[in-house]
Amino acid sequence: MIKLLRIDDRLVHGQVAFTWVPSLGVDTLLVANDKVARDDFQKMTMGLAKPAGTKLLIKPVSEATFFLNDDKNKSAKVLILVNSVADAFAICNGVQDVRAINFGGLRAREGARMISKAVALTSEDEDLVRELLRRGLELEVRQVPSDTRQKLADLISQ
Amino acid sequence: MTFSYLLITLVAMFGHAEDFLATSLLSRPLVLGPLVGAVLGDLNQGIMIGASLELIFMGNIKVGAAIPPDVITGGVLGTAFAILSGQGAAVALALAVPISILAEMLISGLFIFRSAFNKKFAEAAEAGDFKRFQLLHIGSGLLKPLLMGAVVFLALQLGAGTMKAFLETIPPWVNTGLHVAGNMQSGLGIALLMNVMFSKKVAPWFFLGFLLSSFLHLPMIAVACLGVVMALIVTNASATGTPADNEEPSDIPTQNQPASFSKSDIRSIFFRSFTLEANFNFETCQNTGFAYSLMRILKKIYPSPERMALALKRHLQFFNTSPYGSTLILGIAAAMEEENSRLKDFDSESINNVKLGLMGPVAGIFDSLFWGTLKVIAAGVGTSLAMNGNALGPLLFIILFNVPHFVVRYQLTFIGYRQGYKFLQKVSGSHVMDKLTSGAAIVGLMVVGAMPALLMSVSTPLEVASGVSLQDTLNKILPQMIPLGFTMLTYYLLKRQVRTTYLLLGLLLVGFLGSVLHLLA
Repeated sequence: MIKLLRIDDRLVHGQVAFTWVPSLGVDTLLVANDKVARDDFQKMTMGLAKPAGTKLLIKPVSEATFFLNDDKNKSAKVLILVNSVADAFAICNGVQDVRAINFGGLRAREGARMISKAVALTSEDEDLVRELLRRGLELEVRQVPSDTRQKLADLISQ
Repeated sequence: MTFSYLLITLVAMFGHAEDFLATSLLSRPLVLGPLVGAVLGDLNQGIMIGASLELIFMGNIKVGAAIPPDVITGGVLGTAFAILSGQGAAVALALAVPISILAEMLISGLFIFRSAFNKKFAEAAEAGDFKRFQLLHIGSGLLKPLLMGAVVFLALQLGAGTMKAFLETIPPWVNTGLHVAGNMQSGLGIALLMNVMFSKKVAPWFFLGFLLSSFLHLPMIAVACLGVVMALIVTNASATGTPADNEEPSDIPTQNQPASFSKSDIRSIFFRSFTLEANFNFETCQNTGFAYSLMRILKKIYPSPERMALALKRHLQFFNTSPYGSTLILGIAAAMEEENSRLKDFDSESINNVKLGLMGPVAGIFDSLFWGTLKVIAAGVGTSLAMNGNALGPLLFIILFNVPHFVVRYQLTFIGYRQGYKFLQKVSGSHVMDKLTSGAAIVGLMVVGAMPALLMSVSTPLEVASGVSLQDTLNKILPQMIPLGFTMLTYYLLKRQVRTTYLLLGLLLVGFLGSVLHLLA
């Protein structure tokens, strides 16, 4: 069961390990990222940050989709972490069960506009967001569970 | 009076200067409350108010760029108004909560505004002008204490008279009601901690902590010590020797160690890292703090402005991690910068790659250990003493947190520099991290479990029959079951995604009405 799909460019870090995992009660952290899946160093450091009692899986986006669609894994309580809107979009395309996306952190970068304290979107990102909204997905901006949720729809021009 | 106001303003500014003081929890109400009390000639009251505030705000912690209510401004003003009007802790709490929420908005505004400095930083970096870079870092950092100091002073100077006159009109029954409401609200503080620590798997430890303090009346220190013993037994840690942090004696350099940096150069990274969060902003977070921490060693290896400019620009990239583990990354970056300065074909991009790769995991590890465990234990022990006006409370709080904090932070600087991420590989190969996190969870949860029993005094004055109090009957079944019940209920509602503001107001109402209707005391 997918508990949350979160976009966060730091992937596994304090907010995730220390607030989301316990608050959602997940037992599996699935990092869906092509680059990290090939990077042993990053895999090692993320393994260190893994909260006690959770399983950490690091897979390329396509394999992550496969994993999520596999009936064998339906009993796992999964928090999916991606580091870009495009990857989140790809997961949504591949996996029916995703109904909501949490925008946690996307740092300011060239061509991106800050739409909240911790989220910056490029115009390509905004196009994808609009498409996801059109499909009826619930998109929220929230860094930690105790923050007030903001609807992404209210923060971008439609 | 203006002189006292100035002193109180200084206390608030000291709290806000924590960003220069290694995020060492000196800004917590448990510390600032006594300082305000001392200024106003009532240390005892200050300690007790600080403890009550700490309980409510205990679960509000800064993780990543998520900014909690500004308890510094709220706490200092609330405490000051309460002592000035002679109305006590209840009023302090009632004032601190709304003030904190308002002040947080100002600070968020500042963190947005600071991003505007990024252009200035970029210009200084471009010119390799490290002096201006450092000045900007310090200057922007000073904005927060200055701004909030001005707010506190104005609030006192303009509002204290009116506030005092208003607060003095509060009738005793309202004050009693607020007092019960304040006690109830600590339930939210505890529930917020549970929200990040509690799960079915570790639930027994929570209840063990509760039972030890409710039936056996063990003080918080005893529960914490028992927790440590339990953790050692369960994780079998005592059999494996010392934890990884101490594995390598820090004064034995490895063979191939280049000697560009002296021990005091590396030490300067540790000290400079105290200002890591000084220029925190929403766009790039701790980037200039990182550069500032490395400045002395950068000066040494890049004497020309051109090379300095390259290094400064490199470190302007977004950076955010747990300040408590930051020195590990700083140490590693120092070693890589050194390599970069000596080798022509060194890929300087790799420095940023390592930084970016490490900041998330390091934040994950150290936020959990320091915020999630150590602070909880320190606050549990500290508030339990301070609630009775014992000055040892705030002192123990600072010591329990900061001795491990500074030892680890200092050691990590050298470990990072000398061992690089080989240290991490070593740790990841062993089961140290698993043991550490599960052990920490045990101690932390036992302390949190003891909190409803020891720190949240809510009872009922009802009588089942004339002369037979309901509370006595309840005590025979399970002492302190009322605080436990309210805490569990709050936790349940938190899990159901009810907003904290509603919960805070809800607990306030239940406590206040319960007191007025003589259901709760």
